[in-house]
Amino acid sequence: MLGFLFQRVLQAAAVIVVMSVVVFIGVYAIGNPIDVMIDPAADQKLRAALIARYGLDQPLVVQYFYFAKNVLSGDLGESMVYRLPVMQLILSRFPATLELALSAMVIATVVGIPLGIWAGYRPDAMSSKVIMGLSVLGFSVPTFWVGLLLILAFAVEIGILPSGGRGTVGTLFGIPTSLATWDGIQHLILPALNLSLFKMGLLIRLTRAGMQEAMSADYVRFARAQGLGDGEVIFRHVLKNIAIPIVTVFGLEFGSTLAFAVVTETIFNWPGMGKLIIDSIITLDRPVMVAYLILVVFLFVVINLVVDLAYGQLDPRIRTRGAS
Amino acid sequence: MKLGYFKTGVAAAALVIGTAFATGALAQNLTIGVRAGPDSIDPHWSTLGSQAEALRHIFDTLVGVDENLQLQPALAVSWKPIDDTTWEFKLREGVKFHDGSELTAEDVKFSIERIPAVTGPMSMTIYTKRVKEAIVVDKYTLQVKTNGTAATLPNDFIRLFVVPKKIGMEARNDQFNSGAAAIGTGPFKFVSWEPKGDLVVERFDGYWGQRPAWAKVVRKEIPNDAARIAALKSGQVDLVNYVPATDYASMQKDKSVDTFIADSVYILNITPNVKETLPKKAKVDGKEIDQNPMRDLKVREAMDLAIDRKTLVRVVLEGLGKPANQLMPVTFFGASKALPEREYNLNKAKQMLAEAGYPKGFELDFACTNNRLPGDAAVCEAVAQMWSRAGLKINAQALNGTVFFPAQQKGEFSLWMSGWGTLTGEASYTYGSLVHTPDAELGLGAFNKSGYSNPEFDKLFQEGQKTLDDPKRRALFEKTTEISMNDRALIPTVILQTVWASKKDSVTFVPRVDQETLAHLITPKK
Repeated sequence: MLGFLFQRVLQAAAVIVVMSVVVFIGVYAIGNPIDVMIDPAADQKLRAALIARYGLDQPLVVQYFYFAKNVLSGDLGESMVYRLPVMQLILSRFPATLELALSAMVIATVVGIPLGIWAGYRPDAMSSKVIMGLSVLGFSVPTFWVGLLLILAFAVEIGILPSGGRGTVGTLFGIPTSLATWDGIQHLILPALNLSLFKMGLLIRLTRAGMQEAMSADYVRFARAQGLGDGEVIFRHVLKNIAIPIVTVFGLEFGSTLAFAVVTETIFNWPGMGKLIIDSIITLDRPVMVAYLILVVFLFVVINLVVDLAYGQLDPRIRTRGAS
Repeated sequence: MKLGYFKTGVAAAALVIGTAFATGALAQNLTIGVRAGPDSIDPHWSTLGSQAEALRHIFDTLVGVDENLQLQPALAVSWKPIDDTTWEFKLREGVKFHDGSELTAEDVKFSIERIPAVTGPMSMTIYTKRVKEAIVVDKYTLQVKTNGTAATLPNDFIRLFVVPKKIGMEARNDQFNSGAAAIGTGPFKFVSWEPKGDLVVERFDGYWGQRPAWAKVVRKEIPNDAARIAALKSGQVDLVNYVPATDYASMQKDKSVDTFIADSVYILNITPNVKETLPKKAKVDGKEIDQNPMRDLKVREAMDLAIDRKTLVRVVLEGLGKPANQLMPVTFFGASKALPEREYNLNKAKQMLAEAGYPKGFELDFACTNNRLPGDAAVCEAVAQMWSRAGLKINAQALNGTVFFPAQQKGEFSLWMSGWGTLTGEASYTYGSLVHTPDAELGLGAFNKSGYSNPEFDKLFQEGQKTLDDPKRRALFEKTTEISMNDRALIPTVILQTVWASKKDSVTFVPRVDQETLAHLITPKK
């Protein structure tokens, strides 16, 4: 187990190094961040002074060396745009994104898995065909368009939900969250729903496929021969067997939702990390880009670790293999 | 039956109370949906337009500007040059900071000296670089010694925000963002802000100027156009800025909103590279040629003649613009009223190209931004098509600003278009940077990447910079404007207009050319 963890940490470190090199080379290839940020009325001397001040006149290798040295001493640097420590900047926006991503995943799971089970259990029923049809819409219709439609319908026309922003943030079990206030929940509904649609479609299709395959498997026939009712067969035996691919996809989707919820965040003006990272790319705010990507790699590693541990719980065979 | 009446009565009463409450709240609070906000609450951190706009609520500048960017008194009530290298500013008496202390010349001196120590990559030193020394004469008099003659110093000081000396040199962005150092003399007091989030301010009762109509103002940053319009339509905000042209068209039929339009300072200008060799050679009949056709004034004139500006405005910008004939609005200091409207004449353009030796035209790449100003990419593509009717093959490339500006700085473009706003309201800001021959010693021509160089222009321009007498300087700058525009050093296309929208009959204000949305200049509509 310890060896397994150690291996994962090494992997993560390697990915972080490669990625930071790619970002450095990428920004260098685009050009000098000062040229994007500088005021058009600045003169030549000022431009040169600014470039020197941020060390951008140094060779790329030297710039990277200083960056690596600072990171190893725990300093990821300051944003060039905000002059705030980048981790503080990113983490101040992390709770909003986490809350949105979690709510979206919960909606997708609570709605998607039961619908998928039903569609797999009764593949020929009219209701299943409707579910499958809608699931195709779920991941083929662009998120931004659905988001705009939701705003138009619920905020502008009917006027029962706000069009964007994060509402009043309260405290629940000591954690500041929108879920603690009614106003906060109202603000959360539309963006969370918007973000969940793609995942919902995916989970429906995945669950249905697993169900259909499992329902014709030998163990299901044996269980039925044993005289177990359909409900018991599905919830005690089938669900456990089809859970592994669902958990894998769930983990990956959760990670990508956290890291790249930017479209939904933009349309609903949700104060999450997505908007911050897009702006820092536009202004070539390199410290923020690098720190954000390091955080993303870290998140994926943690999520994958949790997923792997969950496998063990779901399937004892994996546990024994892992232990040996 | 009785119960029915009772219910109706309650409902009606609730409605009355509800409406009263709603209008009461509206009369006191203003919520604005803005496209962009500040990067910091430190007014000396950045020259970003949206930063200055937001911080004008909390801080005042030494010299003020009206809605057409012409100078007016602010913290300084008057200013005059006392010799070639000294300006004297008389301060307004009895101005209070938000903490109750009084504004003195020491605070202004401190603010000038603080800028080089704390400013960021969008460096505010561009507004103080002419200052050699600030001298406090008495409590309300400040003398500024300049490096050489600085005729436009008061124009530079329209961006000189004044902070109290007692915050000390150590106060930086975090102390301002937390509110500890965010002490100004402005119409509103700072309440809270976070990056990319809401800026909340409340009325300062001790303000020296007109008392603001709003007790509390929230500036919500909503960068996405569709989201900002939705916030207005769903009633989350009272007013939004930067309404896109397509929404403006549909709002004309919408009875629930009012719209406000104004010319902006932003003009889309085309720059032909006139260096001896182009970074990417021009082609005739598909074969590369060594010479640069745009070195010939006839070719530049032909390119100018082929642009149908009226169509650009009417079709591409949906009416939200005006044809431009120079780099600034004609009301600005140094703009020329003698310049004629630009002519559109396709036949003459073809004829001039033939005279210049390009009867079959030539082929060139044409770069422009696609995310900087409304309609920039669309105008770029339309201009390329107009040129193709004159026989030129121009390949329009609309690029993200992140890619465009570094490439422009490196001199990779042969022909390009970008927006420029004369934010100080006078000519030297624009022509000094874009048209003057690059000269690092004089700090001129920093953004002149076209290779244009005209000794006559340079001489008159430098003379203008040193001329303290306003009418004489104005005449010199008008002359330089005419020279460079007749030379087609840059080819202006259209002045962009800005649109605001509010809930029907809720607010009234005078739209500004600098596009700023200032809560203290907005009043509830009676």
